[in-house]
Amino acid sequence: MPATLAVRTPDHDWGPWVLGAAVAVIAIVFLIYPLTNAMLLAFVKNGEEPGWGSLTFANFARFFTALSYQRALWNSIYSGLMATVLATVIALPMAYAVARIELPFRGLLCAMSVVPLISPPFIGAYAWIILLGRNGTITQFVHQWTGLTLPVIYGPPGVILALTLSYFPYVFLIVQGALAAADPHIEEAARMAGASRARIIRTITLPLAWPAIAASMLIVFIKAIGDFGVPSILGGEFQVLPTLIYYQIHGFFNLNAASAIAAVNVLLTLLAMMLLGWVNRKRTHATVGGTAGASSRFTSPGARAAGNFYCWLLIFIAVLPQLVIALASFAGRWPGTMLPETYTLEHYRRVGATLLQPIVNSLILAGIATAMCIAFGTVTAYASARGRMRARWALDVTIMLPFVLPGLVVGVAYLTAFNSGPLVLTGTALILVLAYFTRRVAFVFRTVAAAISQIDPRLEDASKICGASWGMTMRRVLVPLVAPAVLSGAILVFSTLIGEISATVLLYSAQWKTISIAIYELVLGDQLAEASAIGTITTLMTLVLVLLAGRLAGKNMADLFR
Amino acid sequence: MPPAGLSVRNLTKRFALGATVVTAVDDVSFTVNSGEFFTMVGASGCGKTTTLRMIAGLEKPTSGAITVDGRDFMAVPPQHRNIGMVFQSYALFPHLTIFENVAYGLRPRATPRAEVDRRVAATLALLQLEPYAQRHPADLSGGQQQRVSIARALVYEPTMLLLDEPLANLDAKLRVMMRDELRALQRRLGITTLYVTHDQEEATAVSDRIAVFNHGRLIQLGTPATIYAQPQSLFVADFIGRANFLPARLDDRVSPAAGVTFGNGVRLRPALHVALPDDEAGTLAGADDCVVMIRPEHLALDASAGDIPCRVQRVQLLGGLFRYTVQADISAKTIVVETTRAPAGVAEGGAARLSIPAADAILYHR
Repeated sequence: MPATLAVRTPDHDWGPWVLGAAVAVIAIVFLIYPLTNAMLLAFVKNGEEPGWGSLTFANFARFFTALSYQRALWNSIYSGLMATVLATVIALPMAYAVARIELPFRGLLCAMSVVPLISPPFIGAYAWIILLGRNGTITQFVHQWTGLTLPVIYGPPGVILALTLSYFPYVFLIVQGALAAADPHIEEAARMAGASRARIIRTITLPLAWPAIAASMLIVFIKAIGDFGVPSILGGEFQVLPTLIYYQIHGFFNLNAASAIAAVNVLLTLLAMMLLGWVNRKRTHATVGGTAGASSRFTSPGARAAGNFYCWLLIFIAVLPQLVIALASFAGRWPGTMLPETYTLEHYRRVGATLLQPIVNSLILAGIATAMCIAFGTVTAYASARGRMRARWALDVTIMLPFVLPGLVVGVAYLTAFNSGPLVLTGTALILVLAYFTRRVAFVFRTVAAAISQIDPRLEDASKICGASWGMTMRRVLVPLVAPAVLSGAILVFSTLIGEISATVLLYSAQWKTISIAIYELVLGDQLAEASAIGTITTLMTLVLVLLAGRLAGKNMADLFR
Repeated sequence: MPPAGLSVRNLTKRFALGATVVTAVDDVSFTVNSGEFFTMVGASGCGKTTTLRMIAGLEKPTSGAITVDGRDFMAVPPQHRNIGMVFQSYALFPHLTIFENVAYGLRPRATPRAEVDRRVAATLALLQLEPYAQRHPADLSGGQQQRVSIARALVYEPTMLLLDEPLANLDAKLRVMMRDELRALQRRLGITTLYVTHDQEEATAVSDRIAVFNHGRLIQLGTPATIYAQPQSLFVADFIGRANFLPARLDDRVSPAAGVTFGNGVRLRPALHVALPDDEAGTLAGADDCVVMIRPEHLALDASAGDIPCRVQRVQLLGGLFRYTVQADISAKTIVVETTRAPAGVAEGGAARLSIPAADAILYHR
C-alpha cells in the first residue's frame, strides 16, 4: 500500500505568525519603546511630567551655555577622532604586512589581535595606570634612567592611548581580510605593466581597500565615542559624553538631562552609522574577489624581518595590558620596578573569599541574556534572511541600532522606560538582563543571518515538497544547519557580557553587582591587585569561550570580528 | 497511487521588479496526460521554471488554474500536493545521511519503521545507491547526488514527478547517460513527469511531448518529431535543431502555394507554408517578403548537379557527420549543409552546386 499523507486542514501553519507576533511585541516593548521614550524625555524639563506643555529645548540648551557640556561634546569628538586616526595609522602597516608578506604564524597574529577586542577596554585602561601612572613601572623606569618625568597619564593622552590600542584590531582585521580577499590578478596585472611595489600600493592596493579602511575607521569611531570604562578610569577631569551621562544620573539623578546628552551621543553615532552604510554600499562593488589563489607575498629576508618586527611589536603592546594585569594579579611587592619583587596567590584567595558573588552574578545575568539572544536573534535572522516582508529594513535597524549605540545610552533608555509607569524594573536583575539582551542580540542576529543566507533556499522547498510541515522543516533541516552559527554567536554574546560595564553601571543594584562593577570599584579604591586578579579571571574565561566559538563555527577566531 | 493527469489553465505570474511589473509566465495553458513525460523547454528566463514551481506550489500564480485529476490544486499547500521534485542543485540535506535523505518524505506520511526501511532500501536499490546509504551527500559524486535526489522524490510514490534542470550540473557524458536512465526509470514506473530544461537536444531525446517557451509564453506544443518537422514559428525552427533561413519573395501574395522566387531568380514551391505569428510577421519588410526554412541535412550538395551555384567556405568533420559551410547568391548569410557521406569532387575553397528539395522546405509568410 502506498504511503499517503495524513489528511490535515489545508495550509494553516500558524507557527510563523505566532512567532512573528511574539518577536514584534518584544521588539516594541524592549527595543523601540525605551529608546523613543528616552528621546522624548530629552525634551522634558527635569521634574515635570511629559506632555505637550512641558516640551522644551532646555536640556539641549546646556550644550550652548554650560561649559562642562561643551567640553564633553568636543572631548568625545576629539578623543574619538584621534583614536580613530591613530588606530588606522598603526593598523594599516600590520594589515598590509600580514596580507602581503610571507610571515610565519600568520594565524596566530590574527588570533592574538582579537584579545584587545574581547577583554573589556577598562581592564586595559587600569593596566596603563600600573605602567604609566604616577608610580607606574615605566614612569619610574624612565625617571631613574633619564631623570625625565613622563606626562601624566590621566586625561586625553591616556584615554586616546587606551582607546587606540583597544580598537585598532578592527582596522587590522577588516582591512587584512579585504586585502587577502582581493583579486590577486589585479596587482599582478599592475606588476606586468611595470609598476613598482610602492606605486602598486599607492595606485591599486590602497584605492581598492579604501572602502574597507573607511568602514573599519567608522567602527572604531563609533566604539570610541561610546566607551565609558576608559574615560572613567583614565579621564580624570577629561569628561566625555558617556561619563557626563553617568555623572548626571549618579550625581543628580537628572534623567532628562542624561537623555538629552544621550540624544546628542546617539546623533553622533547615527551620523557615523549613516556614513558606514554609505561606505558599505560601495564596499560590495569594490571587493569583488573569490578567484582561486592568493596574492603573491614578499619573501625577501628584509621585508620579512621588518614585517615580523612591526607586527609582533604591535601585538605585544596591544596585549601588554593583559600581561601586566596577569602579572599584577600574582604580584606581592611591586614598588615601581620592572618586575614584581615577590609573588603571591593572596589576591586570588581574597577574590575567592569576598568577590565570588559578582562572578556568579555576571555568569547568571550573561547566561539568561544569552538564552534570550539565541531565541530572539535566530527567529529574527530567519525572518530577515528568508522573509519577503517589506518591513525588513525596519527589523534590521531595530536590532542593529542598540548594538552600535553607546551602552550608557541604552542604560539611560532603560532607566527612563522602566523606572516608573506600567513596567517598573529598576533595581532588578531583569533590567540588566534585558539591557544586555538589547545590546547583544545583534551578534546572534548577524552570525545566524549570514549562515542562513549561505543555505540554499531549495532545501526548504525540497522539504516542503516531501510533505514536511513548517515545523518539521525548521526542526529537521534549518535548525541543525544553523546550529553552529547560533552557538558561536551565543558564545560571543556571553563572553562579551561577562565584562560589560557601560550599561551595567547605570542599572546595577546592590544585590546584583557584576564583575565589571566589582573591578571598577576596586580600581577607584586603588586596590589594583585584587582588580587584576578578577580581571585576569574574566579575560581568561572570555578567551577560552571565544576560542570555543571559533572552533564551533569552523572559523578562525579573527573571522568572528570581521 | 495512480499517475495523475495535470491541467494548467491560463496560468499567469507577474511580479514587481522595482517599479516595473515583469510577466514571468503569460497566460499558459496545457494538459499533461497520466503517465506522460512532458518537457518544458526554452532559454533561461522564459518562464518554464516559474511554471514548474507554480505547479509544485512553491510560487503563487497571479491568476489561472491548476487541477490534478480534476481536483483544484491552487488551495493545496506544497507539502500536501504529494508530488516529487528534483532540483537543479539537488537540494540534498547536507547534515543527513543518504538513508535519512531518502526517508525524509516518509516521516510526514506516518510510515511505520519497518516500512520505511523496506521502502528506502527498495528505492536505493532501484537507483543503485545501496552502498552509500550511510554516507553524507558531500561524500558522493555529482551523478550519485543526482540519483539520491531522484530517490528522495520517488520513495513516497508521488502522483507526479517534477524535475527542474536536473542534469544541468553534470558533465556532458554523464548527462547523456543520466537522461537515458531517467527516461527508462520513468517508463518503468509509469509516473507522470514534468521536466524543465534549456537544452533542446535533451528535451527531444527524452520527452513524449514538448512545450516550447519564449518570453513567458508557451509558443508551441507537440511531440518532438512534430515540433522538429513543423515548427510554427521562426523562433521554434531556430531553437529546436539547426536551420537555414533563406529570404525570398512570394510569387503570389494571396496564395503562398504558388511558390517563391529567391534573389538569384531560382524558384521553389515548398511543401509546407506557415503564417507567422504577429511578432515575427512584423520583421518582414514587405507584404510579399517571406522566409524559407530548410534543415541542413535536407540540403543536397554536389559537384555538378543542382540549380544553385555556391562556393564551399569550410568543411568540418563532426563525429560521423560532414558539415559544409557554403556561400550562395540566394542568401547574404552562409548556408549550412550536413551529410553523412562526403560528395565527390567537393572541397574547401572550391565551387559546388546546391539543391533545395521542396518537400522538406517550409515557407514562412505573413
